[in-house]
Amino acid sequence: MLRAVVPYVAQAAALGAALALPAFVGANSYALFVATQLGIYVIAAIGLNLLAGYAGQVSLGHAAFVAIGAYSVALLTVDHHWPFWAAAVVGMVLAAGLGVLAALPAFRLNTWYFAFITLAFALVFEKMIVEWRWLTKGFAGVVGVPPPSAFGHEFGPRPLYYTVVAVTVVAFILVRNIVHSRFGRAFVAVRDVEPAALAIGASPQRTKLTAFVISAALAGVAGAFFAVQKTVVTPDDFTADFSIFFLLTVVLGGLGTPWGPIIGALVFFLIPELLAGLQSWRMLIYGGLLLGLMLFAPHGLYGALRQAWRRFAPAPPKAGAAADASEAREHPPIAGLALDISGLRKQFGGVLALDGVDLSVPAGSCCAIVGPNGSGKTTLLNLASGYYVPDAGSVKIGGVEALGSSAQKIAARGVGRTFQTPRLIADLTALDNVMLGAYTRERAGLLATALRLPSARAEARRLRQEALGFLHFVGVADRADVEAGEIPHGQQRLIEIARAMMGGARLILLDEPAAGLSMSELERLERLIMRICGLGATIVIVEHHLDLVANVASDVTVLDRGTVLAAGKPAMVFNDERVMRAYMGERALKAGVPA
Amino acid sequence: MDIDVFAHGIVAGSLYALVAVSFNILYRPTNVFNFAQGELVMLGAMIFASLTSLAGMPWFVAFAATLLAVGCIGLVEERIAVAPILARSQTGTGWVITTLATSLIISNLVGRFWGPDPILVKPPALLSMDSLDIASSRISSYEIALVLLTVVLVAIVERVYRTLKGKAVMAVAEDREAALLRGIDPGSLGRWSFFLGAAFAAMTGVLAAPILYASTSLGPDLLLKGFAAAAVGSIGNNRGALIAGYVIGVTEAVGASLLSPGYQEAVIFMVVLAVLLLKPEGLFGSPNARTV
Repeated sequence: MLRAVVPYVAQAAALGAALALPAFVGANSYALFVATQLGIYVIAAIGLNLLAGYAGQVSLGHAAFVAIGAYSVALLTVDHHWPFWAAAVVGMVLAAGLGVLAALPAFRLNTWYFAFITLAFALVFEKMIVEWRWLTKGFAGVVGVPPPSAFGHEFGPRPLYYTVVAVTVVAFILVRNIVHSRFGRAFVAVRDVEPAALAIGASPQRTKLTAFVISAALAGVAGAFFAVQKTVVTPDDFTADFSIFFLLTVVLGGLGTPWGPIIGALVFFLIPELLAGLQSWRMLIYGGLLLGLMLFAPHGLYGALRQAWRRFAPAPPKAGAAADASEAREHPPIAGLALDISGLRKQFGGVLALDGVDLSVPAGSCCAIVGPNGSGKTTLLNLASGYYVPDAGSVKIGGVEALGSSAQKIAARGVGRTFQTPRLIADLTALDNVMLGAYTRERAGLLATALRLPSARAEARRLRQEALGFLHFVGVADRADVEAGEIPHGQQRLIEIARAMMGGARLILLDEPAAGLSMSELERLERLIMRICGLGATIVIVEHHLDLVANVASDVTVLDRGTVLAAGKPAMVFNDERVMRAYMGERALKAGVPA
Repeated sequence: MDIDVFAHGIVAGSLYALVAVSFNILYRPTNVFNFAQGELVMLGAMIFASLTSLAGMPWFVAFAATLLAVGCIGLVEERIAVAPILARSQTGTGWVITTLATSLIISNLVGRFWGPDPILVKPPALLSMDSLDIASSRISSYEIALVLLTVVLVAIVERVYRTLKGKAVMAVAEDREAALLRGIDPGSLGRWSFFLGAAFAAMTGVLAAPILYASTSLGPDLLLKGFAAAAVGSIGNNRGALIAGYVIGVTEAVGASLLSPGYQEAVIFMVVLAVLLLKPEGLFGSPNARTV
């Protein structure tokens, strides 16, 4: 009971304090000025938290995006007498647009490219502000930025403060809605387990880009208010130190936590007052704090508070989700997709992993691929699902050539897969991991999700029920609310299968699903595969466990050193002498060990 | 445009290439791109400047002491700021922030210790910074030696990678777990690579000092240009880094002479963006196969 109420009380208290502040301080007081500034920094920090905390892309040049917003407003209102609101929109769009132009190449590459590019962008931008004197007035800066006005009234400090609070609250709510939607789940997937993002059909580039656009736009908005609050905009406001400051704010509060940016900014505004005498040590303290926090409190103050709170009031076992799924439900039949592979060839450096492999899996059948280690089984799956690009050959899925399509496109066509080691997102619950599977099926756009339009909410609710249904189908509904990282290995495999089914997979590729399972888990897996097959889905299973293969597969293909050694019915294939030799070696064959 | 601009581009480019090589040494076995690398270069220049100009130590003794000292700092960085983070997760978010924090700590400590004034560093005996006036170019004997030395250093580093230890480094870069099974200890390689990468960075600082002076502003500048050379030349490819270093150096010199010195960074930034947009893996690399 207490647990459920606390977050609401905290939110109401924070909002109440923010709204009540002007009643206690003078309109021209330093306190109100600082509080307005705090709100502006929180807006930018919320965006940076979405980008660095949830999508895992660390921006080291956030000051530049704030600068774009600030200069847009300053120049348009002072030189061209635009109204603040129009200028702010321009600033927001420019911040996002210029940011995307600069960061576009980085999204295809490793995370740290993005960090470097943003760092370089901020540095170049800082220099250009000085260089383009004709536009920006150089070091002197733009002076006399007028306050915003509405209905003919100019905003004093109090209305400005309320406006900033309102924008902060809106930004907080929009970002929170996005984080709890399919977009948020995709952010975390791209951050932690990129192969899983591909498997559910989410493009890592697009996902990172989405997070960055939102983040840069929020920085632009913050910059717009920055300009009107300070009334003077100079290049000195947007140094590299300012970018580090934003990063530290988010890390201090808690990367990837909803309240992180707010807590971080609050604490940050208290510290300088305490450390007034240590001004010259500031950057050293920033560096030490960043290092210490990342090492000892990766989820910042919010994470530490949450941990303490959990120890104080341990979570009661949640019955809600599990109870919802307790009744068995009918699962609609699945129209399986046929898989036709011919002449497939793949070379890694000097190693020929696959050399002209043919494989035909009719729709709705279950085909197993077996073979000794290194025979090319997993390579075959990776080629079929688009993770590797073959050197030659053809892969037809449902009669359509899939060669040359990216992994996420192939996934979106109805190909689901699991991995040798389960690739679940450890920080998300089992249920969220399964819902992640529906990424490409979900229709609600970013805007509808951020605003929580009724259609988006209805869809999310429906998919949640469906995901619970699939968890029940694979037999782990009781784990729905447990974080995937804390779930035993065998059940992670089952959740991964549920995720593939949730994605509407009509062809399911299972990569050694039985590895590391106990005997009882193995039996459950066997029944599960047969039930999925019974629904009509096509299954391709790579497996070493021959008993399982003999029980579930209608056809078996044996690979050996990149070529097909034998193919046919399990009973026939397993008695083939060449297969036994490849599998068990010459000696075992002579000793007469049964297959 | 005169030949002088070109020559100075090559000299600066050699320094950028050396920074890029130091990035590569560190990156290959660990897959960590050290954001403190620029400060390690700066630290090398500062320590060396103090040892020779202020303490009057002989050139080679000071050189060895500097490399050892900065190498050890690199090792400390790996132990404190990188290894614990990598043990928790291999994704980039963590170590980008911790190596950046390390760079902040080093640059501010150095700033407090040495102050902001640049220190003049003399080139070693027999070489000088006086211009030679060959073919109307005002290049000095030290600068010529630096360009030649850079080529030799890149060749030596490439040669080392062909030894057994070097191959072990490549194996770890390719597949950490598979290398582990073959009896290679990635942890030990990671420590060594931080030591050697930091020492190489320090050497770059020592070599840069007579031309650029030893000052705290060396760090951020060389960090970004070294990154540009490493990215354009394909990460991990040292010969690529050398050529990319020249490209960056000459582009910068030409850009500055045609436009204005204020455009130096902007021109380099555009070159890097253009290359990464057209060839994400750099000019001299092949796209890596993803492994699942």
